[in-house]
Amino acid sequence: MDLTGAFGARSAAVGPCREPPGLESLHLGGGDGGFTALLELPPTQAVELLHFTDPSPSSSQAAAAGIGLDVSPPPPPLHAYGALTFPSNAALMERAARFSVMANEQQQNGNVSGETTTTSSVPSNSDRVKTEPGETDSSQLENNRCGKRKELDKKARREKINARMKLLQELVPGCDKIQGTALVLDEIINHVQSLQRQVEMLSMRLAAVNPRVDFNLDTLLASENGSLMDGSFNGTAMQLAWPHQVTETEQSFHHRQLQLQQPPQPQQWPYDGLIQPAWGREDDQGHGNEHNSLMAVSENLMVGSASLHPNQVKMEL
Amino acid sequence: MNTYNMVKQEFIKKWITTLHMLDSSVEHPLNVTERKNAIRLSSDIAMAATRSGATIWSRALISRTRKYTTTCKPVAHRILKKARNRMKNRCTTITRNGIFGAKMRVRKRTELLKSLVPGGELIYDKDYLIRETLDYIVYLQAQVDVMRTVAAIDSVTRDLS
Repeated sequence: MDLTGAFGARSAAVGPCREPPGLESLHLGGGDGGFTALLELPPTQAVELLHFTDPSPSSSQAAAAGIGLDVSPPPPPLHAYGALTFPSNAALMERAARFSVMANEQQQNGNVSGETTTTSSVPSNSDRVKTEPGETDSSQLENNRCGKRKELDKKARREKINARMKLLQELVPGCDKIQGTALVLDEIINHVQSLQRQVEMLSMRLAAVNPRVDFNLDTLLASENGSLMDGSFNGTAMQLAWPHQVTETEQSFHHRQLQLQQPPQPQQWPYDGLIQPAWGREDDQGHGNEHNSLMAVSENLMVGSASLHPNQVKMEL
Repeated sequence: MNTYNMVKQEFIKKWITTLHMLDSSVEHPLNVTERKNAIRLSSDIAMAATRSGATIWSRALISRTRKYTTTCKPVAHRILKKARNRMKNRCTTITRNGIFGAKMRVRKRTELLKSLVPGGELIYDKDYLIRETLDYIVYLQAQVDVMRTVAAIDSVTRDLS
């Protein structure tokens, strides 16, 4: 279907091996550091590449809007602030999440590639700018050279900023048509404010309904224990659990199902480090059991709560 | 969608943990506002912990919330220490970006954005600010998604029982 095509195109665009030609030789940081490698490109090429990927989000939007059935009808009582979930939002979040997670992973691996070199290039910029006043008494020729270097630095920074602003524009819905930095910043500010207000409202909602702070965890645990990893629920309940995401095609759906079955080993390690001292303080007895059931809860939350009403499941389908 | 789902998964694991910690530490407040603050606090800490101190906003969020709770201090300290070890090369307060011409509108909006993103006032580099904002938006969206789903599940189970 069109969406998988658009996804494939977009994920290929993040990696360095794609047209426009001439960039195939640039294998900066391999395939996983795709977007940070993008930022390391000479600025004009980076902007060009970003422009080149621009048609794909809009085409996927058009495809999603045209198809209609891939955009699930807005789930009834959830959107108090109107529909902030746009059809292509899922793909954009994926791309941006990949960008930030890749940056995180690169720092974790101590990888000296795009991310750290971009940040280390900025201090070198500042060093060069700082030495400017110190060189005022030098000869005319040297002054010219320093001036040109400063201009080039500024131009490079401006291009980098513009490239990132483009990505921000894509991330914030409804920002593509706006020209001018001030208005784009306006939209970004509105988006951040609305997200923060949503968090506020959702936490108020959770607090108002439940008499305790750890609200529904006990009910979740009770309901999940009865139907852990039930294979038959995976298909329908997953769609219900994340109803406002773009529903994928069959292949990617099965692919995700397969991925979820494998216990995520590397993810458990930081989690263990986080909770073990805390649990040690409180309850030593139920440590093992609670840990396992918490893992099951979190995994099942991704899969979908099995205790949901079958009528609602049918409605989603 | 795998990366975004991983983000949400990490977030909900940490959120469950912080909720438990908060609930055991605080004598049960009966007030709705206090409960809301506790939930909001725990979810903010969880969001920052998911980012695990690799960004400025996550560290600023943790140090901001440190004032309100004492039990999350060891967690906060651990995260900040990990972040300090990892971020040796990161130079955050670089130099004031040159503002040429009359771009006062952009300047004003940048100041506003700085006030919104936690820890933004410390960032002088506009390039870095935009990167931080991008990251922060992704994680805010993940937080909103997870909370919304949990609220939905909660309401549905409430209807059932």
